[in-house]
Amino acid sequence: MPDTQAAPEPVLSIRGLEVAFETRNGTVNALDGIDLDLFAGETLGVVGESGCGKSMTALAVMGLVPNPPGRIAGGRILFAGEDIAQASERRMCALRGRDVAMIFQEPMTSLNPVFTVGEQIVEAILLHQDVAPSAARTMAVDLLRTVGLPDAERRVGAYPHELSGGMRQRVMIAIAISCRPKVLIADEPTTALDVTVQAQIFELMERIQAEIGAAIMLITHDMGAIAEMADRVAVMYAGRVVEQGSADAILDRPLHPYTRGLIDCIPVLGKQAGAAQRPPPLSEIPGVVPPLHALPAGCAFAERCPLVHARCRNERPVLTRSGHRVACHAAEREIA
Amino acid sequence: MPRAPDEPVLDVRRLSVRFALPKPTLFARRSHLRAVRDVSFALQPGRTLGLVGESGSGKTTTAMAAIRLLAAAEGEVLFRGRDLLKLDAEAMRAERRNVQVIFQDPYSSLNPRDRVRTIVREPLDLMRGGESMAAREARVAELVREVGLRHDQLDLFPHQFSGGQRQRIAIARALATNPQVVVCDEPVSALDVAIQAQILNLLRRLQDERGLSYLFISHDLGVVQHICDDVAVMYLGQIVEQADRASLFGQPRHPYTATLLAAAPSLARRKSARTARQHVPRGDPPSPFRLPAGCTFAARCPRAEARCREAAPALRDVGGTRVACHFPLGG
Ligand SMILES: Nc1ncnc2c1ncn2[C@@H]1O[C@H](COP(=O)(O)OP(=O)(O)OP(=O)(O)O)[C@@H](O)[C@H]1O
Ligand SMILES: Nc1ncnc2c1ncn2[C@@H]1O[C@H](COP(=O)(O)OP(=O)(O)OP(=O)(O)O)[C@@H](O)[C@H]1O
Ligand code: SF4
Ligand code: SF4
Ligand SMILES: [Mg+2]
Ligand SMILES: [Mg+2]
Repeated sequence: MPDTQAAPEPVLSIRGLEVAFETRNGTVNALDGIDLDLFAGETLGVVGESGCGKSMTALAVMGLVPNPPGRIAGGRILFAGEDIAQASERRMCALRGRDVAMIFQEPMTSLNPVFTVGEQIVEAILLHQDVAPSAARTMAVDLLRTVGLPDAERRVGAYPHELSGGMRQRVMIAIAISCRPKVLIADEPTTALDVTVQAQIFELMERIQAEIGAAIMLITHDMGAIAEMADRVAVMYAGRVVEQGSADAILDRPLHPYTRGLIDCIPVLGKQAGAAQRPPPLSEIPGVVPPLHALPAGCAFAERCPLVHARCRNERPVLTRSGHRVACHAAEREIA
Repeated sequence: MPRAPDEPVLDVRRLSVRFALPKPTLFARRSHLRAVRDVSFALQPGRTLGLVGESGSGKTTTAMAAIRLLAAAEGEVLFRGRDLLKLDAEAMRAERRNVQVIFQDPYSSLNPRDRVRTIVREPLDLMRGGESMAAREARVAELVREVGLRHDQLDLFPHQFSGGQRQRIAIARALATNPQVVVCDEPVSALDVAIQAQILNLLRRLQDERGLSYLFISHDLGVVQHICDDVAVMYLGQIVEQADRASLFGQPRHPYTATLLAAAPSLARRKSARTARQHVPRGDPPSPFRLPAGCTFAARCPRAEARCREAAPALRDVGGTRVACHFPLGG
């Protein structure tokens, strides 16, 4: 895809994005110079440990960074050529839900409990599209059918609490795709669901993507989900992108010690499935992610890294230019 | 009392749990939700038995009833030859020290106002005729070291720790009374994979050192395959398949087990290679309010036939696996 074809333009291009929060410990950078590209029709997986800035990246794109205490402190977010990092709330309202849509982990908190799912889809349609209410209602039923809600004609009148978790997530997806967005951000869309339902939702997302050609940013902490869904992957650590490349490159030939650690510590299903003896202990990444207010001067991973050397302590590694990109002094030497 | 090597440490027989549902009207008959139905399993000493299944399948209810943290409607639970469910309150309190539990959410299972020292010591304080304060404090220090926390962290509060560290505190507390059986209810589900690996390795090491037996609940089949020696698969309050690790993951017999395994995300499945799943599971996890006649999995089962909707399959032995299915896979 993107890396092999003649340089296609990304639909979304993030450059040097910084998001700062005012906290008791002073100003901290929740995002500290993020670089990401998202191309039409592809799925970009974003992984990393809790608190590394995955959701904040999504919120920044949507213009939803909680302000105060947070703000976009620097960098650009180019959507179809327009920098929306500092766009007005009015401009963001027009884009949000129409060109850039988002689905969240817990559909119950993003659906309004006092309106039927049909009313909520109709509202989303009427907000951005110039159609009559009756036409919007027909579209709502069609959308529910598209996302595979059983018995869509009847369920259009159901309240969120009358649906299962999987059905609610289908409704969220119906709302998100109602205006055929160019970018769909899915923040842990299946984390609260059973694996059986997750498989259904993933299949739905792939089908929708093929139909409307949206670029999907899939935020997850699950490398298995990445393997299955992503064309390309960005690995985040402590508010920075530390590695970015094709899913196969990241999973089979990870360059950053953190990515390697993340992959190696997973108990892989199916590995020696029939073996009678107990598997050996898992490999570990020692320690924990440092808090944002106490990030070291050099590489944020230095405290936990098996390859740490003097340079890592005082010089912050930057992402290499193109292709399989990595931010690590040791990996740079390896590639060179 | 010495036991024969393969006598179970916990022998659960025909356990059932019902929850009373709110009455729709004042004079209506009270109905019940049958959360656990006729479940039997044996936990072998020094081993880990996994309970897996979708949300609401009854994993937690089964485990809590088995150690009498929840009242069972029927059944018996033999622990060292005695039925835990028949013990009087005093005798049960004495047995408590032998059966402990670790929960999923280390944030809510630890008292936020207590220091680590107090949290870990509390089960010892509650024991009748216990040791002196100095002896208890020494034990706490030892436990905290064993689970990988520092001595200088003893006087901190739970909020001053990360999620993984809080789970270490919960483990130290559960082990304080030197139990034989520990129920682990989704102990790593709230943790990042890197921290999950640390905790799983810790649980395994403590098991080896102390000869612990774990009843281990998880919805992550990769974790279960790694940590469990035996696995029971639950569906709608019943065990539908039970086998040792090698059999269950190497040759699943029940169509539901196969469905779960096919649905689980795996590093081996690649988008680039178009390694699509063989079949995407149908339907939602079922509701226990209206149990269908016949096999409860029939509505979602790719192998279902007329007979499945008429007669409920009983658990039986197929090639060393216990399976409840009229048409088990490979057999
Ligand atoms: N209101 C706030 N004040 C201060 N810091 C905040 C605030 N909201 C978020 N942060 C910080 O921003 C960082 C990024 O958080 P974010 O929610 O993006 O993480 P994440 O990668 O999505 O994690 P998770 O996997 O847990 O969802 C975190 O370190 C968090 O502590
Ligand atoms: N206190 C209760 N009162 C009424 N119903 C209950 C109660 N506790 C559990 N249930 C019901 O019993 C069934 C089994 O629940 P249980 O919590 O044991 O499932 P589980 O397999 O542990 O699910 P999960 O993976 O979500 O933790 C569910 O239908 C649940 O709604
Ligand atoms: S820069 Fe240094 S400390 Fe950071 S990941 Fe690379 S080798 Fe490790
Ligand atoms: S008894 Fe029938 S419906 Fe039930 S699991 Fe077996 S084949 Fe499927
Ligand atoms: Mg998040
Ligand atoms: Mg449970």
